[in-house]
Amino acid sequence: MAEVHVIGQIIGATGFSESSLFCKWGIHTGAAWKLLSGVREGQTQVDTPQVGDMAYWCHPIDLHFATKGLQGWPRLHLQVWSQDSFGRCQLAGYGFCHVPSSPGTHQLDCPTWRPLGSWREQLARAFVGGGPQLLHADTIYSGADRYRLHTAAGGTVRLELGLLLRHFDRYGVEC
Amino acid sequence: MAAANPSIFLLMVNGQVESAQFPEYDDLYCKYCFVYGQDWAPTAGLEEGISQITSKSQDVRRALVWNFPIDVTFKSTNPYGWPQIVLSVYGPDVFGNDVVRGYGAVHVPFSPGRWFMGRRPEYTDPKVVAQGEGREVTRVCSQGFVTLLLSVVTKDMRKLGYDTGPADTRGVPGPGLPQGVPR
Repeated sequence: MAEVHVIGQIIGATGFSESSLFCKWGIHTGAAWKLLSGVREGQTQVDTPQVGDMAYWCHPIDLHFATKGLQGWPRLHLQVWSQDSFGRCQLAGYGFCHVPSSPGTHQLDCPTWRPLGSWREQLARAFVGGGPQLLHADTIYSGADRYRLHTAAGGTVRLELGLLLRHFDRYGVEC
Repeated sequence: MAAANPSIFLLMVNGQVESAQFPEYDDLYCKYCFVYGQDWAPTAGLEEGISQITSKSQDVRRALVWNFPIDVTFKSTNPYGWPQIVLSVYGPDVFGNDVVRGYGAVHVPFSPGRWFMGRRPEYTDPKVVAQGEGREVTRVCSQGFVTLLLSVVTKDMRKLGYDTGPADTRGVPGPGLPQGVPR
């Protein structure tokens, strides 16, 4: 079987209007993929930047997959949340990006979006906080029911992912 | 010797903790150490060290320069648990005691070549900074920037079937640094 190592970091986020941010991340793969080592999902710490507007997490990612097929190449999905001084959390954005498919180190900028809701909900969010969230997290990385949503842009999450491939040339796969 | 034990590959890292930018603090020193998985072991060099104390330069750059060498070689059978450098920056408080000013971690690059990287230490717990689990309950303020210059050489990774991608001499840009700094 061919093997893939994803080794890198979720560096941080920029461009969000809220300041104390954290990120919940997860990796989704197809049925042919098996996770041999590493944790498939996690949550970063909350960062409040003192200098500049970029929140830094530097959250390490180290995953080892074995695969029998190319379908279902890993996708990283992200939820950026902000936490206020009372400990309440509010959604800042959803985003996803595919894990790169060529070996080496890659800089990725993942754009995010958040559901808008009706004008009442938008008004309530501006004053009281909260706001609509997705019921099923798989809408973040699948295109299936997206046409039902009306969303607004959030900020950008910056990632640095390194990819190490093993035995892909044995199966004639060019990356 | 490599033929007798074909499942082991080597990773040699050398370079330096070059400098730091911390707008609010002065008279800083840094400690580095490596954190790695169970399949890894250092075979040569030092896996941790403490630098000198440095003060901000008098010129307009206000730079904190350490120029502190890093030189270590690892052997491993599995890329899982790839080594990370954990940096801790310390400085004096009002009473003269050493307090931590920030922690940061970055994976050692795995394409051979020279890498120029900037990392932002944040205030959080030691060694937790290199793990993903358990971070959900910490709140941090990021407040400074440390620059590392690393060269990486690997041995026998290709023989074992690993493809690490093109050797890259461009740097990993950080805020305030030009994109792709060639060295």
